[in-house]
Amino acid sequence: MEEKVLAILKEHCEEALTYDGDSMMEDGVIDSFTVINVVGDLEDEFDIEIDAKYVVAENFKNKEAIIALVKRLLEE
Amino acid sequence: MQLISLSFVILWAIAFSLYYLVTGKAQRYVLLAVSLLFYVTGLRAFPLSLLLAAFTAYGCGLYLKRLLAQERTALGACQDRESKKAVRDAFQRRRKRIQVLSFLLLLGMLVFYKYAAIALPYAERLAGSHAAFLERVVMPLGISFYTLTAMGYIIDVGRENCEAETNPLCFLLFLAYFPSITQGPFNRYAPMKEQFCSAHIFDYDRMLRGIQRFVWGAFKKLVIADRLGIFVDRVYSAESSTVPGSIFVCATVLYMLQLYADFSGYIDMAMGVSESFGIMLPENFKRPYFAKSVAEFWRRWHITLGTWFKDYVMFSFVMSGPGRRLGKACKKRWSSFGKHVVPILGTLAVWFFTGIWHGRTAAYMLWGIYYGAVMSVSLVLEPRYAVWKEKLHIREGRLWSLVGMARTWLIVFAADVLIRSESLRQAGEIYLSFVTRLHPLRLLTSEITAYGLSRYDFILLAAVLLVWLAVSVLEERGEDVRTYLAAKPALLRWVCYYGVVLTLLITGIYGGGYDTAVFMYQSF
Repeated sequence: MEEKVLAILKEHCEEALTYDGDSMMEDGVIDSFTVINVVGDLEDEFDIEIDAKYVVAENFKNKEAIIALVKRLLEE
Repeated sequence: MQLISLSFVILWAIAFSLYYLVTGKAQRYVLLAVSLLFYVTGLRAFPLSLLLAAFTAYGCGLYLKRLLAQERTALGACQDRESKKAVRDAFQRRRKRIQVLSFLLLLGMLVFYKYAAIALPYAERLAGSHAAFLERVVMPLGISFYTLTAMGYIIDVGRENCEAETNPLCFLLFLAYFPSITQGPFNRYAPMKEQFCSAHIFDYDRMLRGIQRFVWGAFKKLVIADRLGIFVDRVYSAESSTVPGSIFVCATVLYMLQLYADFSGYIDMAMGVSESFGIMLPENFKRPYFAKSVAEFWRRWHITLGTWFKDYVMFSFVMSGPGRRLGKACKKRWSSFGKHVVPILGTLAVWFFTGIWHGRTAAYMLWGIYYGAVMSVSLVLEPRYAVWKEKLHIREGRLWSLVGMARTWLIVFAADVLIRSESLRQAGEIYLSFVTRLHPLRLLTSEITAYGLSRYDFILLAAVLLVWLAVSVLEERGEDVRTYLAAKPALLRWVCYYGVVLTLLITGIYGGGYDTAVFMYQSF
């Protein structure tokens, strides 16, 4: 699962893979358009629905947070 | 009551003393009493719209809380994924219904107050003398800010990003908090509640830091913004055909700086006042004129408004049922371009609303459409830029950053002509003057001093703008200027402090009774 998430991130925002901070959205590493495209691909890939309530800075602060979000939604 | 006025300083001093005299929960009620006093003295009327907004959002929050609790109970009884989904969908529909009703009330109030004056002639034609009451409608102070803040709270409660407030007075304080009620920044409930509910003990350093930020904000407003405003107002109110294009270029660049100094000056003052009470407001500016693209500019300018529209309008639209269906259909139909369609529609909608939120004129509507178009085009062309850069062997160095900054200034410059002009016709004439009668050399003649500012004013402005630039460069490098100065030798430190205070007192543009001109964003 992790590899698939990383592959999607690599396609849309390679910088996110090497980013080691904890505020990717505020730091301008990932903009809102990229977030929308990443969310779309994650939904298609894992057959999940990522509601707008999950699209907050906390869940997109780095690649680990995105992986954790997908994991959580898969378990629901 | 203006933030820069003797009466405000007295109110601040009294509030500050009372705040630290009482302890624990009573502190938040001191802030509430001061906030209401500040608001009512500014409004000079009963704060009906503020109370209506607070009541609507507070009531809706409580109802949503009850629905969420019921949903959790119902989900606990579900055995499989499908039944869970059905429960979630059913409760989501119920939440949406009450949210939409609250938004209609809040937006209806905002639209009524904001557009009553414009609607008056049409209403009179339709309803005759029955519409005369519209003449007496005055837009309440800060209504554009607290209605959006209230809507944000309702969405956050529905998304479970914050817990609904049960204490109505605490909620009223959140909406009416006096440093941010008139011009923001837009606060989010969760971080504000945590701070309002904590007990704050007196801290000398924190008080000093608050005062320093307040004075720096006042410096930007009175020494820079209001001085620049004299020149800008004179140029833009002159007969357009008599002013050369180069003077309009100069006035528009100074207007860009005026708007920034005015608004960020207010925010600095608001944050300074709030910091003295131990309550940190969210940052609203991060040196926007250092941005290398327009998208970055808007991530640095009026940050809390940008994130409000992004979180509550853009993401809500894109991730809604119709947004998802449209996105999938477009992806299927147009492949790589298709994935851009929904984000583009979201961007255009966000910028259209941002435009009409800022102003009631056609110029602001066009301004919003302009930025929406620029953002959408750059979204589509961004992959192409990367290819061109590769082909042209362009490296992202300092020079490339300067090119990006210049491009951003140019795009913002063009938009600011539109909103600063008295009419669309004048804006057209000004754009034309850049091409047909620029006369750049006339900037070097004494003509430049014919618009309200003397040679002395220009020299002073150059000096203070350099100081501002130096502070901005330090901040851009990650330094906190107040901490940076505190670590310097006492002599240098006090020269800086006294320099700012004396320049403010001697060269600030004051009115009668040491009051000041209104803040530009207050009218939005």
